[in-house]
Amino acid sequence: MISALRANLVVRAVVIGMYILAVEWTRALAMRWPGTAAAALILGGAALTLVAVGWPAERIGIGTSRLGLRILGGLALGAVLLLPAAARSGGALLPGGLALAAIAVSIGEEVAFRGVLFAALEQLGGAPVAVVGSTLLWTVAHLLSHPPEFLGAVAAAGLLLAMWRWACKDLVGPIIGHVIADLAL
Amino acid sequence: MKRLGLLAAAAIAYVLAAWMVAPGFYDGFGPPQPYNWTCPPPQAGANTKPSSGHADIKVIKGKSEAGSAFDNDGQIVIGFLPDSFDVTGKTSISVDITPLDTCPQPPGVRFVTNIYKITADAPLKQGAKPNVTMRYSNLEPDPDAIYLADDPNGPWQSIGKADQAQPFTVTTRTSTLGYFAAGYRSVSPPPGTVTVGGGQLLPIIVAVLIIVVVLAGLPLAVVRRRTRKSPDEDA
Repeated sequence: MISALRANLVVRAVVIGMYILAVEWTRALAMRWPGTAAAALILGGAALTLVAVGWPAERIGIGTSRLGLRILGGLALGAVLLLPAAARSGGALLPGGLALAAIAVSIGEEVAFRGVLFAALEQLGGAPVAVVGSTLLWTVAHLLSHPPEFLGAVAAAGLLLAMWRWACKDLVGPIIGHVIADLAL
Repeated sequence: MKRLGLLAAAAIAYVLAAWMVAPGFYDGFGPPQPYNWTCPPPQAGANTKPSSGHADIKVIKGKSEAGSAFDNDGQIVIGFLPDSFDVTGKTSISVDITPLDTCPQPPGVRFVTNIYKITADAPLKQGAKPNVTMRYSNLEPDPDAIYLADDPNGPWQSIGKADQAQPFTVTTRTSTLGYFAAGYRSVSPPPGTVTVGGGQLLPIIVAVLIIVVVLAGLPLAVVRRRTRKSPDEDA
């Protein structure tokens, strides 16, 4: 009985992971067509958010308890994510259309990776599996959208956001931090 | 405390990893690959010199075929429609793209890309307007146009830009070949960007975030501590 239940958890985690990977890679490939960047990001973000259907908000780290701390945590995460870039370049904010797309894909990725995938992996093998597994899939998902030399930083960002999700049992912070980082180049 | 320690370690690991690559690797908006500079800006990090490109465009039945030439870095592409060249006596047209190995900055214009020389061994026909697309780096402000000159020392003229098809690319049409670079008029702020504080937006955003976190975090921490203590005090 337990092994059957466990097998189901494995199948569920694999299916969620494959769905997320398929959406991310499709988005990355679609963005290579001229003029499709914003649409691909918005649709990709929406498709990633769909993975949360049927999951209680609390299970994926979304809630209103300690909301002030969650928001502050998000601002702090945003500051950390932008710190290396801020120290070296002036930066700029994205123009309107792309900013909306950035918000959509940031929310979608957090809900998918640190929300649903993290919860499925945590139930399967505990926090270490959730942190390592979600970070690995996050990095693999960015293989097509980022050149190889960026993947170390991408992985480190995924690890930081996953660690927050684990340490604070919160997804609001990673969502806010991710949106801030994507809005400010 | 153990969790906070691991979280802090992850934050430090991230800062170190992100420091080792060029800024701006976030979702899909960064350039597809780092820009290869002739004269890299200080924040560029490791740099590879830009490459050149070559294309042979066939001439069939007295007309040049459609074709494009691009450098091997994908930093500049020029696309020709059929019958773009005066092909008298030619069986193919040779198009060459060469990055200039110096970085002149003409007065009034600030270039944000390398300067590329595009030549062909046949003249363009009158009315032929090949499409020029240049990629630029996220380390520089968005250009307001592609500029063209017969000589790298100028004079440079703006040949405009079409609506942005992809992030970090600028496209326009040209009626002549020569030297091409993307840039913006330096008498006005760079277009398409929201800048404050002399263009140092990102450092200001980070500073504001830190201040907000500290200022709002302290009272929240005090409230939480009082909330935790109160049951004991009641007892």
